[in-house]
Amino acid sequence: MKIAKKLYSYYMVMPALLIYVLFFVLPAIIGFYYSFTDWRLDRETISFNGWTNFKTIFTDETLILALKNTVIFAVVTVIGKNVIGIVLAVALNMKLKTRNLLRAIFYSPSILSILVISIVFTPMLRSDGVINKLFESVGLGSLSQAWLTDPAIVIFTVCAISIWQSAGFQMAIYLAGLQSISKEYYEAATIDGAGSWKSFVHITLPLLLPAININLMLTLIGGLKVFSEVFVLTGGGPGNASQVVGTIIMRSFGEGNWGLGTAMNTLLFVVVTAISIPLLYFMRRKEVSE
Amino acid sequence: MSKKMKRTSKLLLLSALTVALAACGSNSGSSGSSEASGGSAGSGQKVTIELAISKASQDSAFVDAELLKKFEEQTNIKVNIQQLPSEQVTTVLQTKLAVGETPDIIQYNLASAVSDLNLERNFEILDNESWASRLLNKEVLSSGGHIYSFHVSQDTGMQGVVYNKEIFEELGLSIPANYDEFIAAAEKIKAAGITPIFMPFKDHWATNIWTSAAFADYAAKNEPTLWEDLNANKKKWTDIPAFETIIQQQYDLYEKGLTNTDVLSDSYDMAVGKFLNKEVAMMFMGDWLIQDVENKDPNMRLGLFPIPYAQDALVGASPLGGQLFIPKQAKHIEEAKKFLEFLASPEVAQEIVNEQEYVSNFNDVTTPELPEYKQEIVDLYITPQKTVTTMEAYMSIDLSELYRNLQDVFAGGKTAKEVLEAWDTKFNQLMKDKGVEGF
Repeated sequence: MKIAKKLYSYYMVMPALLIYVLFFVLPAIIGFYYSFTDWRLDRETISFNGWTNFKTIFTDETLILALKNTVIFAVVTVIGKNVIGIVLAVALNMKLKTRNLLRAIFYSPSILSILVISIVFTPMLRSDGVINKLFESVGLGSLSQAWLTDPAIVIFTVCAISIWQSAGFQMAIYLAGLQSISKEYYEAATIDGAGSWKSFVHITLPLLLPAININLMLTLIGGLKVFSEVFVLTGGGPGNASQVVGTIIMRSFGEGNWGLGTAMNTLLFVVVTAISIPLLYFMRRKEVSE
Repeated sequence: MSKKMKRTSKLLLLSALTVALAACGSNSGSSGSSEASGGSAGSGQKVTIELAISKASQDSAFVDAELLKKFEEQTNIKVNIQQLPSEQVTTVLQTKLAVGETPDIIQYNLASAVSDLNLERNFEILDNESWASRLLNKEVLSSGGHIYSFHVSQDTGMQGVVYNKEIFEELGLSIPANYDEFIAAAEKIKAAGITPIFMPFKDHWATNIWTSAAFADYAAKNEPTLWEDLNANKKKWTDIPAFETIIQQQYDLYEKGLTNTDVLSDSYDMAVGKFLNKEVAMMFMGDWLIQDVENKDPNMRLGLFPIPYAQDALVGASPLGGQLFIPKQAKHIEEAKKFLEFLASPEVAQEIVNEQEYVSNFNDVTTPELPEYKQEIVDLYITPQKTVTTMEAYMSIDLSELYRNLQDVFAGGKTAKEVLEAWDTKFNQLMKDKGVEGF
């Protein structure tokens, strides 16, 4: 034990710490500074401009819409990915003959690139695409929509595609969680007369909490940082209808408005941190050990 | 044993630190050494200059492998091509300019360089280059009275309605001279079972071909100082009722069913195929589309006429694209200028002009025989001076938000009036951010 302590002296953390500071902490601090400046492509000098960038974010119509869309995306996908993920995991934890095949099928979208997915989905989601044709052929023509071009529903379409892609990945984590729950609990519950719903609520869910925590955190942070789904499916359009914080940051940098872009980035960083750290602590306390 | 370990770990740490520190210093180190090699160019040592182009222009005549080899043999200067991803070209160049890590030459568009790259601050003035005196049309290479860019062509690309001549002939249609005639022609094409107009408005910039040429024509004929007034905040975009009408006119074509059904799902890259299959008869675009279609099938006969928003409009002349620029912070300015000199030499320029079928911009380089459609544009519009420079050339800020607003009209999100109101706000903010007087 003594030797082990000496083996791994605290100095050993230095290389990793150095890289972490150099490539994460330092840029974050510098970014924090620049988000209070008018740093622009066409300015010779950079000067401090207080809260101006943040005021712009909360007054500009498009930027407010982007914030709203980001929240919608985060909430809808967190619920969708986790509910569907748990349902799939519980279903595929039963003794089915095709269990492994089905697991593989549901997991497979999450290994595809979002670019490929968008190439497949874009023509399907056209107003004369397969999905609408399918609705019409079964007499549900009234359900057909301009999925990616109607400003009112476009963000939900993007959510649905994201859920479709990643629910299988959440399922894999839930499956691992389920398999660590001892069968004895269920046997005891059955003897006590609990039905499958009761044992799900009182045994599965509490003992699954570590997996739920991980998944909630992953999907929430992923949802708030959404970029690629929107970028490749709609480019933020039509108009600005599906802009999210991620695409606005990209656009601000493209316009040479670097101060504003950095401010958006800082805001995103603060929001993600402010939501995820308390959530992590809260959920940790709820966890029970077997 | 443990002592040994301690020593080893210290050694490891030290080496890790050295590597990290060396990495930090590498930027200044490398630029220093290349400067040294640049200085010794005179003594016959090989210099390598960097030329950055967008991946989309990898076929540009200026980066032809044989041409670069010839240049290297003549001058002992090697040109290294940096291909930048097309969608990110602006961002990458902005960043390179901001941190001073610039290539020696970049290929870009003059008008966009003014709005995106801060032309005057970042690029060399080329007025005194030996080739400047031989130019036929200095304007296409100039901004604010100075030559900032280089090209051997003066053909800027014309924007209007690209149309299939065969379909027009089969249906006995003539070129429409105004909006009503245009609608009548489109109705006839529709009755023949062909989609009259193709709108690829998934790409938001494509919404602006109609407006950009029509706005410019309106301004040239009715309010010659309009662009100056807008740029000085003496007028607002909403002050010009004609703008609203023009935006509405384009939308009405869609409302009347004269276009493809799903305009917001179709993108520009589908256009060539649609014309080749004769699925569509017309599209608001530049004559570069005609070239692209005829490259695929030389038997296609396409032509171009002005955007028919009003009686006898002018054809829109887009600002010239694909020029070469030398950044002020380039490490090998002299060598970069030598490269331009090489391209401008009558022999090399003639070769490029012949191969690309350019309209020559040098008084000692002759224009070769042009393709039929181009000759027709030259005869019908360029020679009789029936062209007008499109709106982009007068703007010093990024217009993509205007395109997005125009796209939003087709999504049902904005009316023509709301487009101009939203653009007024954004325009004001962009001009203010840029520090333009009056905003």
